[in-house]
Parts: sequence; C-alpha cells; structure tokens
Amino acid sequence: MRLSNAVIPSEARDVLFVRRRTKRTASLAVLLAFAIGSLWTTQLAAQSERAKQVGMHIKCMCKGCDMTAGGCAHPGGAFSGPCDSAKAELRQIDDLLAQGKSEQQIIDAFVAQYGTIAYVEPPKHGFGLVAWIMPFFYFLLGLALVVFIVRKWAMRPAAASSAAPPSHNEVLDRARAQAARETED
Amino acid sequence: MDVFGSFSLLLAFVCAVYAFVGGIAAIKTRHPLLIKSTRQAGMAACVLIFLATISLEYLFFSDNFSMAYVVSHSNRDLSTFYKIAALWSGQEGSLLFWSTLLSIYILSVLIAYRNKNGELMPYVGVVLAGVQIFFLTLNNFVENPFKTLATVGASGLLEPFTRMDGNGLNPLLQYPEMVIHPPNLYSGYTGFTIPFAFALAALLARYPGEKWIHLTRKWTMIAWCFQSIGIMLGAHWAYAVLGWGGYWGWDPVENASLLPWLTGTAFLHSVMMQEKRGMMKVWNVWLVFCTFLLCILGTFLTRSGVVSSVHAFANSQIGPWFVGFILLTLAVCFTAYFKNRDYLKSENQLDSMVSRESSFLFNNLLFLVACIAVLSGTLFPVFSEWFTNNRISVGAPFFNKIMVPIGLAILFLTGVGPLLAWRKTSADSMKRNFGWPLIAGLIAAVLFFIAGYHEPASLLCFFLCFFVFWTVVLEFYRGAKVISARTGMDMMMSAHELAMRNTRRYGGYIVHFGMVLVFIGIAGVPFNKDVQKTMNIGDSMKLGPYTLSLQSADTKVEKNYTAQRMIVEVLEGKDQKQIMMLYPEKRQFQGNEQAAGTMVAIYSTLRQDLYVVYAGMDPDTNMPVIHAFLNPLVKWIWLGGVWVVMGTLLALMPNRRTTLVLAGAPEPAAAPAAAPALTPSATLREGHD
Repeated sequence: MRLSNAVIPSEARDVLFVRRRTKRTASLAVLLAFAIGSLWTTQLAAQSERAKQVGMHIKCMCKGCDMTAGGCAHPGGAFSGPCDSAKAELRQIDDLLAQGKSEQQIIDAFVAQYGTIAYVEPPKHGFGLVAWIMPFFYFLLGLALVVFIVRKWAMRPAAASSAAPPSHNEVLDRARAQAARETED
Repeated sequence: MDVFGSFSLLLAFVCAVYAFVGGIAAIKTRHPLLIKSTRQAGMAACVLIFLATISLEYLFFSDNFSMAYVVSHSNRDLSTFYKIAALWSGQEGSLLFWSTLLSIYILSVLIAYRNKNGELMPYVGVVLAGVQIFFLTLNNFVENPFKTLATVGASGLLEPFTRMDGNGLNPLLQYPEMVIHPPNLYSGYTGFTIPFAFALAALLARYPGEKWIHLTRKWTMIAWCFQSIGIMLGAHWAYAVLGWGGYWGWDPVENASLLPWLTGTAFLHSVMMQEKRGMMKVWNVWLVFCTFLLCILGTFLTRSGVVSSVHAFANSQIGPWFVGFILLTLAVCFTAYFKNRDYLKSENQLDSMVSRESSFLFNNLLFLVACIAVLSGTLFPVFSEWFTNNRISVGAPFFNKIMVPIGLAILFLTGVGPLLAWRKTSADSMKRNFGWPLIAGLIAAVLFFIAGYHEPASLLCFFLCFFVFWTVVLEFYRGAKVISARTGMDMMMSAHELAMRNTRRYGGYIVHFGMVLVFIGIAGVPFNKDVQKTMNIGDSMKLGPYTLSLQSADTKVEKNYTAQRMIVEVLEGKDQKQIMMLYPEKRQFQGNEQAAGTMVAIYSTLRQDLYVVYAGMDPDTNMPVIHAFLNPLVKWIWLGGVWVVMGTLLALMPNRRTTLVLAGAPEPAAAPAAAPALTPSATLREGHD
C-alpha cells in the first residue's frame, strides 16, 4: 500500500496546531469567537501535557503493556501507544485536572477506581511504606555490620606479612596441605 | 526425530542420576573406576542433551508441524536465522536451552580437569550433576519440548495430526539481537553454576577457602562477561525494537537478569580480599551461593509468571519445582557451611577504616543493597498481594529513586577504592591520588552545567564519572611511566606492556572505564524529550535542533512480513541543513496478525540520539503518527558496554610474564618523576589486585 495525500483526508488537521482561517469578510464576532477558541485550545493542549505528566505516575490499565498511562507505547501493539486504555485514562486525568484536583488526588481517584494495581510506585503509607523502607533498612543494617567487622578485624593481632599470610590454625594448615596435595592448577 | 530427541533427554536424565548417585558412592569409596565412570556419565549426559537440542532444531528446520512446540513458535516462512532463535522463544525450549548451555560448561570443566584435582573433582561432579538433574527433570517430565499434536479420532482415541503451518515466532523476537541476547544471558546464568559447584565442593571436601577461588577465577569472569553482554544486548533490543524511547524499564525480567550480575560483581571484587589478605572467605562462599540461587530465581521469575500475578504461581507447572530446588539448594549450602565453617576462618587484620579492605566491604555492601532493593521491588507486588490481598504495582519511578543514590555511591567507590592502599592509606597518599581527579570532576561538572545539564543527580554523576576516569588514567600513567623509565619505550607501548603484565588489574580498570561511559549515558536520561504528532505527507515537526519532515511512505513486502515504512527527512539547525533520511517501520508478521513489530530509526551521535518511531495509523484520523525522541548521551552506554567486554577479555588473558615487584626498588636516577611508583596504587605488585 502506498500512502499518498489522496488516501489521507485532506480536512484532517494536526491536533497540536490550529490553522487560522483568515477571511476578509469575517465579522468581529467570529474573530472574537476564534480567539476565545484558540485560547481554550491552547489551555487544553497545556492541560494534556500536564495530564501526560500526571499519567506517568499512574499505570496503564490495559493489562497488556505494563507501562504508565502517560508513557504508554504499547510494545507489540498495532499502534505504538498510547493505547485506548491509556487514552481514556489521560482524558480522565484531564477532566480531574479541570476540576482543580492535585496530582495526589488524581492518583488516589484512580486507586479508588482500579485498586492498588494503579500505582506505579508504592504509596508512602500503609504496607507500601515497607517497599521504601526496606532498602534503607538493609543499608543501615549492612553499614552497622561493616563497621562491626572492620573494628573486629582491626582488633586482631597484626600479621607478619600481608603478601604471605601465616596461618594460626592447625586445622587450616592441615587442610591447606591436603588441598595442595590433591589439586593442581 | 522427535522420538530421538525425547529419548536422548531421557537417557541424559539417567546418566545425570548415575553421575550424581555414583559420584556420592565414589567420594565414599574413592574407587578409581567408579570415579572415572561417574565422570564419563556426566560427559555422556551433556552430549545427549546436545543431541536433544539438535533434534529440536532439526524439527524447526524441517517445518515439522506435528510438534506442538514447533507449531507455537515457528512457521514455514520464518527465516533460517530466526528458526535458530525459535528454540528459546518458549518455555519448554528455554529450559532445554538452559540445560544445553549448562552442559557446555559442565563438559568443559569435566574435560579440562579430567586429570587434575583428583580429590576435589568427584565433589564438583556431584554438585554439577545435581543441578543438571533438576533441569533434566523439568525437560523430561514437566515441560517437555517434544510433545506432538493430537486430536480425538473417530474411534474416540487420540490420534496424531499435523498442522499445515505454524503460528510463527513472536514479532518482538524477530530482531537480530534476539538471536544473540538470550544465549549470552543464559550463558551468564548457567556459567555461575561452575563457581557455585567448586565453592560447595571445596566446602564439602574441607578445603580452605582460597583453593576454589583460584580454580574458578576465570569461569566466574566468563560467566560475568556473558551476563554483562546479555544485559547490554537486552537493553539495546528494548531500545531498538520496543519503540518506547528507553532501554531499561525495570521490568521483572530485566531485574531478574540484573540480580546475579550485582552479586557476581560484588564477588569479583571481594574475591581479591581473600586472595590478597585471606579475608572474607565465608562472605565469598555465600556470595557465590547467592549468585547461583539468584540465577535460578531469575529463571524462575522469568519463566513462571509469578511476578505478573501471584496466582500464576499456582497455575505455573514449574513454579513449585523451582521453589523446591531453591529451598533444597539452600538447605545443602547451610548444612555444608555449618559443618565445615572452621575451614573458612579469616587470617588477617586491618589497620584502618581508610584502606582497600574497607573499600571492598563498602563496595560489597552497596552491591548487596542494590540487589536487595531490586529484588524487594520486583517481588513487592507478590508480597503485597500475599499480606494485604491488594496487589501494589512497583514501576520504574520507584526503582529510579532507590537506585540512583546507590549507583552514584558505587561510582564514587569505583574511583576511590583502587587508589586506597591495603591496610592503611596515609593522608599524603590520598592528596596525591585524588587531587587531580577531583579537579577534573569539578571542571567536567561545570562544563556540563554550562552545556545545559542542570539536573543535580546528573551533574553529580558527571562529576563522579570524570573523577573515576582520571583515577583510571592516572593509574595507567604512573605505571606506564615507571616502565617507560626502565625500558625506554614510549608511553603508549609502556601502557600496553603494563596492562599485559597484570591483565587482571588493568583489565579491571578498563571495565571501570566502561562503566564510567555507561553512567555518562544514564546521566542523560532526565534530559530526554519527545513529541508525538499525527502527520500528513509533507508535514514537519521540530524536536531540539532537528526538523523532521515526512517525505512519503511505502510498503515493503518480505517473505515473512509486510512492513509499512515512513520516509522521514532530518534537517538540522536554523539553516535546515539536510542530515539524513530515516525509515521507521511497522511490521505485520504472517501468522501473528494480533501483534506488530516496530523498527525504530535512530540517528545516533555522541551528543544525542534522534529516535524516530512510526507508531502506526492514528485510529481516529487514519493518518500516520510519528513519535520522535531526543535522547542525550545514549550512545555512551553502548560504547561503555564494549569497553566492559574488552576489559573482561583482557582480564581473562594470562599475564605476559612474571610481574615485576618494584616496591622498595631503588629508583633510576634519570627518572625522578617515577617517585609515585612507590605509592601503593602505582606499585606493580605480585599477583592480582
């Protein structure tokens, strides 16, 4: 199939750009209405960009792509995103933004509607807090362990040489001799 | 051929069981013939698995559509190239492929050490056979790839039947990198079985810690190298095919591949502590145990579907098998450790917190915390569903927030660690070693700020990258200067000589340099831009310095797919200088009408990638939609990957000659500038660090 201007509807226009129609006979009222329309369109475009930003924090609910509503590219789909599900969510976000809702309120609204599966990152309250705390908890635990180990090592009697560590343990000496006998490199 | 393959697999299972049971008997009796026969049974199992794999490939190449697996993953028009890849495109084939790659490693080990390490090898053989039995159990009895299609005949009995054609290979997998990415990743996963087997065997045989480390050093590096290549290729595939503008989405499958890489990297560092100072023996054994278990866990997460839903575990045939194997392996490891832990005692002491030893401890701490963060985040949806009955999703924003500080801290240690002396580092030495790198890092951060990179985390990353880069350069420079002064060679030849004299150390520095490049690329992420536009022929759109003009569109009919291709002209700057034509495609594959493949067109420079996707026809307007991304610095990631591999290959090479020990040697009068050679960082030491 070869695409050409003929197969693409000529009246279709890019949503991001509104072509100004200038006619000499246009009345002041029409110009005024057009100006108001342009302003509204600009506001809508800005709002859609904001919806996309908020949508980055809400999951695409199509269950087919595991991406965010704002960043849905729907890999493997006939259309590389946003998929219908993500589009509907972005429209819903637009509506909620128009109602003056904050980002968190919008996320909460989606969680109320779809459940906690709508989160992209765990909430910083309830069980979700565990996900945020866990890495820091393990880091602090590990840090305490490292400090403890370093101090323990520092308290050991000094070895004669670092290049050829002497063994202080008969068991180890025997095992080392056995390993040397039984293996070769 | 299906019967032959199926029978080979069954016979391989029998051989592996004999190698395992006979191996235990051989350890008890120490009977030479029994030892030899179990070793040969292990080899036979490997050969039989190869035969089974060749049989399955033959069934793909001969378009045998009486086989369920062939029907599900191939079709007549699928190219030869992708018929090879069809082997690992589904559950059954992937598990067989796991067994095959494991067999290559096992066979190599059994042949390489057939006349060596006589007392240790029976233990190694038993552990390897144990792992092999697990996968052969899955191959034979749970996910057999040699199932034939059957239908209920007129007599009411099942009768075999053959389909005219197959369903075809998943379109997302029909990309050249997908033919080489899984083998590399799986080679990484399976490769860590070797150090695991030697570590466990040495513990069971009551060998002191250093022996197994010495024996498995290269095997570990080979596995790590494959894992790194696999991860890089996977990221590049995601970037070039999925059409979402990114290369790493913190998907559970991606995370599964990262987990053993993180612990494996920690191990490659901490192993030096054991070799040089006789420390961290227990830690190293457990790091290898954990790395192997994470490889199994990664395979389990990837194949069981447990992360997509906790209920998938119950539905998955292989889930309980994997959990059982992981628990059994843990039990064996714990038992072996508690029984023989006396043989893993540390033997040295430490003088200061500011020392190479403590930097290795912090390095390991950070890699382990990174691993835990990725693991807990990946499994958190499962945990939340278990504990609260509500599944909480965890996506990229969570991982980015957690992993960015950890990654930066690791990058910092990459620069600091190698310049610290063993035992204790003096303040003078620190000033001498860190002065120039700090200045270089600061200058770089300022330059990037002026260039418009104003994100604090990115600026910190640039600072650290240049800091690490200069520490690496100084290490080469100082070492090369010593050699140059002694031999009269020029600096480039001296640097080459230096690297060849201690391949492991300088290969490691090259790997660090590669990671610096990767981090530079990652630091560009906050500055990504994109625009999606419905375009008519002749329309254009702007993105950064580029103007994209949709010139025309055409259709390309290939044997296995039909592509709709957009022809996009790229112009740059105010003067609209023509740069090139880009051809993003959307492919519709035969037998897979539901799914489509995306071929992204990328104009890549060191500064940024112009990444153009033909998203498809807008369902509302029936006009083509072009999605263009401007991704700064991405190319550095792929370049970094190449350096990482080159550094690892260098580290795998034998040292050219016995390393000179120059510490304390009198300096030549003609080369007073070689004084830094006496500092711990520049001293050419015996062995490896």
